[in-house]
Amino acid sequence: MTQSVAGSRAGVTPTARTGRRHPDRPHTVVRWRSVLLWLVVLATAVLWMLPLAFALLTSVKSEADILGTSLFTLPTSLDWENYVEAIQTGNLLQAARNSLMIALIKVPAGLLISAAAAFALARIRFRYSGIVLAVIAFGAMVPVQVAIAPLFQVMLALDLLNNPLALVLPYIGFGLPYQVFILYGFFRQIPAELDESAMLDGAPNRRLFFQIILPLSKPALAALFILDFVATWNEFGIALVLLQRQESWTIPLAVQGFQSKFTTSYGPINAFTLMSVIPVLVIYLMFQRYFVQGAFAGAVKG
Amino acid sequence: MSSPTSATAVMVPRRRRRARRLRAALPFLGPALVAYVVFVLYPMVESIRLSFFEWSGFVGAEQTFVGMRNYVRLFTQDTVFWTALGNSVIWVALSLAVPMLLSLAFAVALDRKLPGRALFRTVFYVPGVLATIAVANIWRWIYNPRYGVSESLAQTLGLEWLQGIQWLGDADIALYAIFGAFVWQAVGTNMVLFLAGLQSVPPELKEAAALDGAGAWQRFRNVTLPSLRPTMVVVVVLTFIGSIKVFDLIVGMTGGGPAQQTQVLALWSYQLSFANNQYGMGNAVATVLLILVIAVVVPYMLWTARREQS
Repeated sequence: MTQSVAGSRAGVTPTARTGRRHPDRPHTVVRWRSVLLWLVVLATAVLWMLPLAFALLTSVKSEADILGTSLFTLPTSLDWENYVEAIQTGNLLQAARNSLMIALIKVPAGLLISAAAAFALARIRFRYSGIVLAVIAFGAMVPVQVAIAPLFQVMLALDLLNNPLALVLPYIGFGLPYQVFILYGFFRQIPAELDESAMLDGAPNRRLFFQIILPLSKPALAALFILDFVATWNEFGIALVLLQRQESWTIPLAVQGFQSKFTTSYGPINAFTLMSVIPVLVIYLMFQRYFVQGAFAGAVKG
Repeated sequence: MSSPTSATAVMVPRRRRRARRLRAALPFLGPALVAYVVFVLYPMVESIRLSFFEWSGFVGAEQTFVGMRNYVRLFTQDTVFWTALGNSVIWVALSLAVPMLLSLAFAVALDRKLPGRALFRTVFYVPGVLATIAVANIWRWIYNPRYGVSESLAQTLGLEWLQGIQWLGDADIALYAIFGAFVWQAVGTNMVLFLAGLQSVPPELKEAAALDGAGAWQRFRNVTLPSLRPTMVVVVVLTFIGSIKVFDLIVGMTGGGPAQQTQVLALWSYQLSFANNQYGMGNAVATVLLILVIAVVVPYMLWTARREQS
């Protein structure tokens, strides 16, 4: 080991000597490496922002600018026409209303149902609760497309096709597995002594759930709420099959519909796409820490 | 305080206590079970059943039992199925390599106290929260053969070899071009997972290794990487699940074209059922997809269950 230390010092000296102004040689090397790393990260970050930057740039260019100049040139003048055109021809507002309504109902309702199920599995624990948990958790790993054709038949039989509100039902079903799994892990970590104090009252489980377990789980619930809102807003595969009339479309369907209808209206397409992501961007920037927490919960609990 | 409850619990026979627990659990579990069984579990099982039938999918149309015929047709006559299967395998393999390594590198870099690292993390993470269908549009524009990035680069820098590349129209490169958009979107999420995992690397160990004269690479190889193993398993499984079901991005960018060359299992299943009205064939593809997922995910679930017990 001592040898390798000597070796690495020896290897380092020549580079350090070039930076003469700093007398402490190893530090200089470390600093130069940090600067280099920082530059690489910066360059990568700039590269990562380019796709959105191109979309933004194109969305404010006139058609003449888009077709006549290169992608990198700045617009001759800011042109908001694309946004107006996108809103007017793309049914953006109606799709946003549908998406918002679905998310505002689905996310709280789904979370409550998931939390109740996780509570039953984690705190009441009955005979086959382990198996029930495994069967539910399994659903988190199965692609929607495995079940989509029969799901269409189920919704057809219930007369719920082309009904944005009814989309909430399968969304709750497909959202359950992950949430139950995460909340199960969270509830299990709450000390059991808390149960006993609640048990002394008349309706022990209901009280325990609403007055002790739920309030104690606020961080996990908040993280799941935000993650689920974004996931619901972005969902495409199920909506594509169940909502076929334009007036029932959600935002992702409207984005896809606009793109395939006005293939070469590059300005409006980019404007439409950008407007469709603004809500999730705002939510992400406002609640950034919950995304990290949610990811962390997933990483720890597996 | 707790003695009255536990005293009664002891007196009630075990079996009745279990029944009582189940009855107590049902009001909480009921809504979830109904939603899960009706909208997830039943359709999944039904798609396996339908894979043995021939059916147009129309109400009232007859379902004819054909045994394994859909599968035989799929494996012997349906060339698109083989393309889709091959592409899905390529997609999973690439996903387990490229975004994984990139996100690990990003996480290790941004775990250090670099100036502005919160901003960098945000920049890398943001594509992950966008709707995939929006990402598809953004990248279609980048790949536009007449006005996109390569054409603009070719004009600005005079690089003729960049001219006229049909990123999404050339069967040889379209799948990989779509994969570029996937990398852009997927790296941030994995990076956050790795960053969370890096918090579990004991700093004393790293310091001890540094004192022993271990170089940066040796420290990474012998200290950081082993501590990341649990995170790695999670990322691998999530990446597998995310990549085997790729659908939105393909629909948004090529729709499976040109000439079905970017077809994948999830999309081919959907198109057979809904565009071709071949429910039996479509559900046979769905069942193949289900079997692939089970083959990977069930061993993983058993492994985590065992780990949790110990």
